[in-house]
Amino acid sequence: MTTTTATKLPPSTHQFADVIHRLEAGGAMLPDTPENLMQIIGLYKAYAVPMDFYWRDLLYIAERVFINPLPAFKYFLPQEYLDLPNHYAGDTADLRIWQKGAASAHPELLEFIENGRSTKMPKIFHHLLHDRINMEFAEACMQAMYWHRGMGGRFDPYLDTDEYKQNADRAIKAYFKGNPAMLGLYKLFPDMFIEQVRVLSYYSNLGLFWEVMAPVFFEMSDLYDEGKITSVPEAMDFLVNGIFAVAGRPIYHHVYIDGEMFEIIPKSVGFTWLYEAALPYVEAVFYRTAPFRGTKSYNAQAEQVPAEQADFHYGILYADVNPVGAAGIPPTLLMDDMYHFLPQYLLDYYEQHCRGKDDMLVQLGVSFQRSMYCVTSAVIQALRAALLYPLDDSNPEHLAKNRQFFEAQIDRFKRPEARLSDIQTQEYR
Amino acid sequence: MPNIVEIAVGNGNFTTLVAAVQAAGLVEALQSPGPFTVFAPVDAAFAALPPGTVQTLVQNPPQLARILKFHVVAGKFTQADLAKVKTVESLEGSPISINCQDAFEVKNSTVVIADIEASNGIIHVIDRVILMG
Repeated sequence: MTTTTATKLPPSTHQFADVIHRLEAGGAMLPDTPENLMQIIGLYKAYAVPMDFYWRDLLYIAERVFINPLPAFKYFLPQEYLDLPNHYAGDTADLRIWQKGAASAHPELLEFIENGRSTKMPKIFHHLLHDRINMEFAEACMQAMYWHRGMGGRFDPYLDTDEYKQNADRAIKAYFKGNPAMLGLYKLFPDMFIEQVRVLSYYSNLGLFWEVMAPVFFEMSDLYDEGKITSVPEAMDFLVNGIFAVAGRPIYHHVYIDGEMFEIIPKSVGFTWLYEAALPYVEAVFYRTAPFRGTKSYNAQAEQVPAEQADFHYGILYADVNPVGAAGIPPTLLMDDMYHFLPQYLLDYYEQHCRGKDDMLVQLGVSFQRSMYCVTSAVIQALRAALLYPLDDSNPEHLAKNRQFFEAQIDRFKRPEARLSDIQTQEYR
Repeated sequence: MPNIVEIAVGNGNFTTLVAAVQAAGLVEALQSPGPFTVFAPVDAAFAALPPGTVQTLVQNPPQLARILKFHVVAGKFTQADLAKVKTVESLEGSPISINCQDAFEVKNSTVVIADIEASNGIIHVIDRVILMG
């Protein structure tokens, strides 16, 4: 493990002291090697293409499908949402993060929607053959955020306010106007319907979150290809700057019914991308999620599942990619999605290792883990920059507070399931 | 005596803050009788934020207003008053930690000029933009 530290403090005595020193020197939890850089950037690109579908469909479901009781076609993205301009790409961008890209859906995504991995056929057949983007993965992430709730920010408490319920009520009544059966059901079970709208608000939240991340990852891939990102810390710094740049982006939930817009969560309540979407997302999806039903089973009665939700540790930072990858469960769905869009350099790389093509999904799952350790490092560094002190601060007390923060963050990776020690070497594939 | 807004406008070090307060529609509120305690970041504090940060906030006044309200406390608190407390509650609703032990620190910023009296409150000039959390 390489350690480059310029700290003025005595060495850390933490179990992961090398990682702490690396963070203090402006690095990431992931060691800075060309092999790591290649893997994480390749995975960002492979992730960004399906993500371009996820955010569009999440918003489509939140805004248009809404509380359709039989949403059989919710994964059939209409052209309007394929064309929906991304706010961070293209000429119309509020802030152009992806410099070369257009605001509409990515060309590789459009090609995949058209042909799948089989051949061109009507959308319904691609859907039934499961030759499509695995939108279920995006919904699993949304459900993790919805289920854990209460992870900071104002978004979640707002869902229990009278103001929110009134806004939802207006939209529900408008949506089922002229449908006495559903309006009758609503009268009998109002909370059930409101709860469904809360779920849809999380669809919107995650859609707006990922709308930012897709162009960020595309831009990183372009910069790497052009030789402008040459190290893991540079990649992480790009993410840190991106987090700040869009931190104030509004998080809201609008619904369109018969051409009229209903504000379930108006922009005016002041919810922001950083506090109400990004931080809860990282907590819910990277760290917590939920035990997956796969080849590995968990017995809650035998206390194999923590009593406290805050102690859940089933996110990508802890995942055992191998058994998890063997079951038909959310991370596998994402790996399958990313597999279609891997850059050639990663396809070549995986063919040289382990079982080549045969275990490429597992290999790319491990690379994805590395890439998410880099994203988590960016979040940790961004929080340090926002809430604490510069890394080169001249005041030792400030540096001590930075260290305390870093150590508290890394404490979460002391548990045996965490992959932090694994990703320190390339043998972990 | 000039009010908080008049002092900020008259001082050349707060051009970004003044523009942000205008964009967020908070001018009237900060001209009201208050009183308020304002932790006012200097221009260099905004300039130190990564590119795009201020642009996104200015494009979205409610979100900008929320960040700015985190820099304002209801009531008039001098440095001597703040030395007696560990936190104060911002208008945004989140607490702001105060440390007066060695230097005068407001969260992770340092107060560079304290106790600028205004007709409707008091201003403490800080060297960094502070954020909730």
